Amino acid sequence: MARAFRKTRRGIAGEFEPGEVRLLRRLFADVVQLLETEKREDEDPLAAMVGLDLEAVKPEDSAVIRLLPDAVRNDDDGALEFRRLTERSLREEKVSALRGAALLLENTQVVLNPDQAQVLARALNDVRLVLADRLEIKTDEDAARLHEIADLEDAEDLESYLALVYNFVTWVQEGLMQALLTSSEPRK
Amino acid sequence: MGTMSVGVVPETRQVEETEEGLATSLDVPWVVIVWNDPVNLMSYVTYVFQTYFGYSEAKARILMLEVHEQGRSVVSTGSREQAERDTVAMHSYGLWATFQTADA
Repeated sequence: MARAFRKTRRGIAGEFEPGEVRLLRRLFADVVQLLETEKREDEDPLAAMVGLDLEAVKPEDSAVIRLLPDAVRNDDDGALEFRRLTERSLREEKVSALRGAALLLENTQVVLNPDQAQVLARALNDVRLVLADRLEIKTDEDAARLHEIADLEDAEDLESYLALVYNFVTWVQEGLMQALLTSSEPRK
Repeated sequence: MGTMSVGVVPETRQVEETEEGLATSLDVPWVVIVWNDPVNLMSYVTYVFQTYFGYSEAKARILMLEVHEQGRSVVSTGSREQAERDTVAMHSYGLWATFQTADA
Protein backbone atom coordinates (compact mmCIF):
# COMPACT_ATOMS: atom_id res chain seq x y z
CA MET A 1 0.00 0.00 0.00
CA ALA A 2 1.23 3.46 -0.84
CA ARG A 3 2.43 5.87 1.79
CA ALA A 4 0.74 9.26 1.60
CA PHE A 5 2.71 12.28 0.44
CA ARG A 6 4.25 14.24 3.26
CA LYS A 7 6.56 17.17 3.65
CA THR A 8 10.16 16.17 4.28
CA ARG A 9 13.45 18.04 4.29
CA ARG A 10 14.21 16.75 0.81
CA GLY A 11 10.82 17.80 -0.57
CA ILE A 12 7.33 16.38 -0.82
CA ALA A 13 7.85 12.64 -0.58
CA GLY A 14 5.57 9.70 -1.32
CA GLU A 15 5.96 5.98 -1.72
CA PHE A 16 3.96 3.66 -3.96
CA GLU A 17 3.66 0.02 -4.93
CA PRO A 18 4.76 -0.73 -8.51
CA GLY A 19 1.16 -1.56 -9.45
CA GLU A 20 -0.02 1.78 -8.08
CA VAL A 21 2.34 3.91 -10.17
CA ARG A 22 1.45 1.79 -13.22
CA LEU A 23 -2.22 2.43 -12.56
CA LEU A 24 -1.73 6.19 -12.15
CA ARG A 25 0.38 6.44 -15.29
CA ARG A 26 -2.24 4.53 -17.23
CA LEU A 27 -4.96 6.85 -15.95
CA PHE A 28 -2.92 9.88 -17.04
CA ALA A 29 -2.49 8.31 -20.49
CA ASP A 30 -6.24 7.61 -20.70
CA VAL A 31 -7.09 11.25 -20.01
CA VAL A 32 -4.46 12.39 -22.55
CA GLN A 33 -6.23 10.23 -25.10
CA LEU A 34 -9.57 11.83 -24.28
CA LEU A 35 -8.07 15.30 -24.73
CA GLU A 36 -6.12 14.81 -27.91
CA THR A 37 -8.17 15.74 -30.91
CA GLU A 38 -7.53 14.23 -34.27
CA LYS A 39 -5.65 16.47 -36.59
CA ARG A 40 -7.78 17.54 -39.50
CA GLU A 41 -6.49 17.62 -43.06
CA ASP A 42 -7.96 21.01 -43.85
CA GLU A 43 -6.72 22.66 -40.68
CA ASP A 44 -5.37 26.19 -40.95
CA PRO A 45 -1.73 25.81 -39.84
CA LEU A 46 -1.41 29.46 -38.82
CA ALA A 47 -4.52 29.28 -36.65
CA ALA A 48 -3.19 26.08 -35.08
CA MET A 49 0.11 27.76 -34.34
CA VAL A 50 -1.48 30.57 -32.37
CA GLY A 51 -3.80 28.18 -30.53
CA LEU A 52 -7.03 28.90 -32.37
CA ASP A 53 -9.45 26.27 -33.49
CA LEU A 54 -12.12 27.94 -35.56
CA GLU A 55 -13.97 24.68 -36.13
CA ALA A 56 -14.10 23.66 -32.48
CA VAL A 57 -17.50 22.51 -31.23
CA LYS A 58 -18.66 21.65 -27.74
CA PRO A 59 -17.40 18.12 -26.97
CA GLU A 60 -19.95 15.30 -26.88
CA ASP A 61 -18.36 13.29 -24.08
CA SER A 62 -19.57 14.65 -20.74
CA ALA A 63 -16.18 13.93 -19.15
CA VAL A 64 -14.45 16.05 -21.80
CA ILE A 65 -17.00 18.81 -21.22
CA ARG A 66 -16.09 18.72 -17.54
CA LEU A 67 -12.39 19.08 -18.45
CA LEU A 68 -13.12 21.82 -20.99
CA PRO A 69 -16.29 23.49 -19.69
CA ASP A 70 -18.21 26.39 -21.20
CA ALA A 71 -16.72 29.66 -19.95
CA VAL A 72 -19.95 31.61 -20.45
CA ARG A 73 -23.27 30.59 -18.95
CA ASN A 74 -26.65 30.81 -20.66
CA ASP A 75 -25.07 31.96 -23.91
CA ASP A 76 -24.22 29.07 -26.24
CA ASP A 77 -22.91 31.32 -29.02
CA GLY A 78 -20.68 33.26 -26.64
CA ALA A 79 -19.42 30.04 -25.06
CA LEU A 80 -18.66 28.53 -28.48
CA GLU A 81 -16.84 31.60 -29.68
CA PHE A 82 -14.68 31.60 -26.55
CA ARG A 83 -14.05 27.86 -26.95
CA ARG A 84 -12.71 28.44 -30.48
CA LEU A 85 -10.25 30.99 -29.14
CA THR A 86 -9.04 29.11 -26.08
CA GLU A 87 -9.85 25.41 -26.11
CA ARG A 88 -6.88 24.22 -28.12
CA SER A 89 -4.29 25.71 -25.80
CA LEU A 90 -6.23 24.52 -22.75
CA ARG A 91 -6.17 20.97 -24.13
CA GLU A 92 -2.44 21.26 -24.78
CA GLU A 93 -1.78 22.61 -21.30
CA LYS A 94 -3.67 19.74 -19.69
CA VAL A 95 -1.97 17.14 -21.87
CA SER A 96 1.43 18.52 -20.93
CA ALA A 97 0.61 18.38 -17.19
CA LEU A 98 -0.64 14.80 -17.56
CA ARG A 99 2.50 13.74 -19.45
CA GLY A 100 4.68 15.57 -16.93
CA ALA A 101 2.91 13.83 -14.07
CA ALA A 102 3.50 10.44 -15.68
CA LEU A 103 7.23 11.21 -15.84
CA LEU A 104 7.23 12.15 -12.14
CA LEU A 105 5.87 8.72 -11.28
CA GLU A 106 8.46 6.59 -13.03
CA ASN A 107 9.69 5.18 -9.72
CA THR A 108 7.91 4.00 -6.62
CA GLN A 109 9.85 6.46 -4.44
CA VAL A 110 8.78 9.97 -5.38
CA VAL A 111 10.26 13.26 -4.13
CA LEU A 112 8.81 16.47 -5.56
CA ASN A 113 9.49 20.18 -5.39
CA PRO A 114 6.40 22.45 -5.14
CA ASP A 115 6.23 23.03 -8.92
CA GLN A 116 6.35 19.31 -9.65
CA ALA A 117 3.77 18.73 -6.93
CA GLN A 118 1.48 21.20 -8.66
CA VAL A 119 1.85 19.37 -11.99
CA LEU A 120 0.95 16.11 -10.28
CA ALA A 121 -1.98 17.72 -8.42
CA ARG A 122 -3.45 19.09 -11.68
CA ALA A 123 -3.12 15.69 -13.37
CA LEU A 124 -4.64 13.79 -10.44
CA ASN A 125 -7.49 16.29 -10.39
CA ASP A 126 -8.26 15.81 -14.08
CA VAL A 127 -8.22 12.04 -13.62
CA ARG A 128 -10.70 12.40 -10.74
CA LEU A 129 -12.96 14.63 -12.84
CA VAL A 130 -13.11 11.98 -15.56
CA LEU A 131 -13.66 9.08 -13.13
CA ALA A 132 -16.35 11.09 -11.30
CA ASP A 133 -18.14 11.65 -14.59
CA ARG A 134 -18.05 7.94 -15.40
CA LEU A 135 -19.27 7.17 -11.87
CA GLU A 136 -21.98 9.83 -12.18
CA ILE A 137 -20.88 11.63 -9.03
CA LYS A 138 -23.16 14.65 -9.13
CA THR A 139 -23.69 15.51 -5.47
CA ASP A 140 -21.71 15.42 -2.25
CA GLU A 141 -23.94 12.49 -1.22
CA ASP A 142 -22.90 10.50 -4.32
CA ALA A 143 -19.27 11.12 -3.41
CA ALA A 144 -19.84 10.08 0.21
CA ARG A 145 -21.60 6.88 -0.85
CA LEU A 146 -18.71 5.83 -3.08
CA HIS A 147 -16.23 6.74 -0.39
CA GLU A 148 -17.28 3.63 1.53
CA ILE A 149 -15.76 1.39 -1.14
CA ALA A 150 -12.22 1.24 0.18
CA ASP A 151 -11.27 -2.40 -0.09
CA LEU A 152 -10.63 -4.58 -3.13
CA GLU A 153 -13.04 -7.09 -1.58
CA ASP A 154 -15.80 -4.51 -1.90
CA ALA A 155 -15.20 -4.23 -5.63
CA GLU A 156 -17.61 -6.66 -7.25
CA ASP A 157 -18.27 -5.01 -10.58
CA LEU A 158 -16.84 -2.37 -12.90
CA GLU A 159 -18.54 0.47 -11.06
CA SER A 160 -17.21 -0.50 -7.65
CA TYR A 161 -13.75 -1.10 -9.13
CA LEU A 162 -13.84 2.40 -10.65
CA ALA A 163 -14.99 3.76 -7.29
CA LEU A 164 -12.05 2.06 -5.63
CA VAL A 165 -9.69 3.66 -8.14
CA TYR A 166 -11.39 7.03 -7.63
CA ASN A 167 -10.97 6.76 -3.86
CA PHE A 168 -7.31 5.83 -4.25
CA VAL A 169 -6.59 8.81 -6.53
CA THR A 170 -8.49 11.07 -4.11
CA TRP A 171 -6.42 9.78 -1.21
CA VAL A 172 -3.17 10.40 -3.12
CA GLN A 173 -4.25 13.92 -4.09
CA GLU A 174 -5.44 14.82 -0.59
CA GLY A 175 -2.08 13.79 0.90
CA LEU A 176 -0.30 15.77 -1.77
CA MET A 177 -2.41 18.87 -1.07
CA GLN A 178 -1.83 18.69 2.67
CA ALA A 179 1.93 18.41 2.07
CA LEU A 180 1.83 21.29 -0.42
CA LEU A 181 -0.26 23.56 1.80
CA THR A 182 2.08 23.03 4.74
CA SER A 183 5.15 23.67 2.59
CA SER A 184 3.89 26.97 1.19
CA GLU A 185 4.07 28.95 4.39
CA PRO A 186 2.07 32.17 4.81
CA ARG A 187 2.24 34.85 2.18
CA LYS A 188 1.81 38.49 3.02
CA MET B 1 -30.76 34.32 -13.04
CA GLY B 2 -31.19 35.93 -9.63
CA THR B 3 -28.95 38.47 -8.04
CA MET B 4 -25.65 37.41 -6.63
CA SER B 5 -25.27 37.20 -2.90
CA VAL B 6 -21.64 37.31 -2.10
CA GLY B 7 -20.22 37.70 1.38
CA VAL B 8 -16.82 38.94 0.39
CA VAL B 9 -16.03 41.52 -2.23
CA PRO B 10 -12.78 40.46 -3.87
CA GLU B 11 -10.14 43.10 -4.23
CA THR B 12 -9.51 44.34 -7.71
CA ARG B 13 -5.95 43.57 -8.54
CA GLN B 14 -3.43 46.37 -8.33
CA VAL B 15 -2.08 45.59 -11.78
CA GLU B 16 -5.49 46.19 -13.26
CA GLU B 17 -5.78 49.67 -11.91
CA THR B 18 -2.41 50.81 -13.15
CA GLU B 19 -2.40 49.02 -16.50
CA GLU B 20 -5.94 49.63 -17.65
CA GLY B 21 -6.28 53.04 -16.08
CA LEU B 22 -8.97 55.41 -17.25
CA ALA B 23 -9.84 53.53 -20.40
CA THR B 24 -11.93 50.97 -18.52
CA SER B 25 -12.78 52.88 -15.40
CA LEU B 26 -16.21 53.79 -16.70
CA ASP B 27 -17.05 50.27 -17.80
CA VAL B 28 -18.93 47.77 -15.71
CA PRO B 29 -16.35 45.37 -14.29
CA TRP B 30 -16.23 41.70 -15.20
CA VAL B 31 -16.25 38.93 -12.65
CA VAL B 32 -15.06 35.33 -12.57
CA ILE B 33 -17.35 32.90 -10.78
CA VAL B 34 -16.19 29.49 -9.56
CA TRP B 35 -19.00 26.94 -9.21
CA ASN B 36 -19.25 24.12 -6.71
CA ASP B 37 -18.81 20.52 -7.72
CA PRO B 38 -18.59 17.38 -5.60
CA VAL B 39 -15.19 16.35 -6.97
CA ASN B 40 -12.65 19.09 -6.37
CA LEU B 41 -11.07 18.76 -2.93
CA MET B 42 -11.44 21.67 -0.54
CA SER B 43 -7.68 21.61 0.02
CA TYR B 44 -7.03 21.72 -3.72
CA VAL B 45 -9.44 24.61 -4.33
CA THR B 46 -7.82 26.59 -1.49
CA TYR B 47 -4.40 25.84 -2.94
CA VAL B 48 -5.46 27.03 -6.42
CA PHE B 49 -6.85 30.33 -5.07
CA GLN B 50 -3.65 30.93 -3.10
CA THR B 51 -1.29 29.93 -5.86
CA TYR B 52 -2.95 31.48 -8.89
CA PHE B 53 -4.43 34.67 -7.42
CA GLY B 54 -1.81 35.10 -4.71
CA TYR B 55 -4.55 35.37 -2.06
CA SER B 56 -3.71 34.80 1.60
CA GLU B 57 -4.61 31.41 3.03
CA ALA B 58 -7.44 33.04 5.01
CA LYS B 59 -8.97 34.72 1.96
CA ALA B 60 -8.51 31.60 -0.17
CA ARG B 61 -10.32 29.53 2.48
CA ILE B 62 -13.21 32.00 2.71
CA LEU B 63 -13.70 31.89 -1.07
CA MET B 64 -13.41 28.09 -1.10
CA LEU B 65 -16.05 27.77 1.66
CA GLU B 66 -18.31 30.15 -0.23
CA VAL B 67 -18.06 27.92 -3.32
CA HIS B 68 -18.69 24.85 -1.19
CA GLU B 69 -21.57 26.19 0.90
CA GLN B 70 -23.28 28.70 -1.39
CA GLY B 71 -22.59 26.90 -4.64
CA ARG B 72 -20.48 29.65 -6.15
CA SER B 73 -18.16 32.51 -5.41
CA VAL B 74 -16.84 35.53 -7.25
CA VAL B 75 -13.10 34.94 -7.15
CA SER B 76 -11.85 37.88 -9.19
CA THR B 77 -13.04 41.20 -10.59
CA GLY B 78 -11.49 43.31 -13.33
CA SER B 79 -11.40 43.97 -17.05
CA ARG B 80 -12.94 41.57 -19.53
CA GLU B 81 -9.48 40.43 -20.67
CA GLN B 82 -8.46 39.66 -17.11
CA ALA B 83 -11.69 37.78 -16.44
CA GLU B 84 -11.16 35.69 -19.58
CA ARG B 85 -7.60 34.88 -18.59
CA ASP B 86 -8.60 33.94 -15.04
CA THR B 87 -11.44 31.74 -16.29
CA VAL B 88 -9.15 29.77 -18.60
CA ALA B 89 -6.64 29.47 -15.77
CA MET B 90 -9.33 28.03 -13.48
CA HIS B 91 -10.22 25.51 -16.21
CA SER B 92 -6.58 24.55 -16.54
CA TYR B 93 -6.66 23.66 -12.82
CA GLY B 94 -9.89 21.72 -13.34
CA LEU B 95 -12.13 24.18 -11.48
CA TRP B 96 -15.45 25.01 -13.08
CA ALA B 97 -15.49 28.76 -13.75
CA THR B 98 -17.42 31.24 -15.91
CA PHE B 99 -17.07 34.96 -16.54
CA GLN B 100 -19.72 37.67 -16.92
CA THR B 101 -20.29 41.34 -16.25
CA ALA B 102 -20.68 42.17 -12.58
CA ASP B 103 -24.25 43.38 -13.12
CA ALA B 104 -25.42 40.34 -15.11
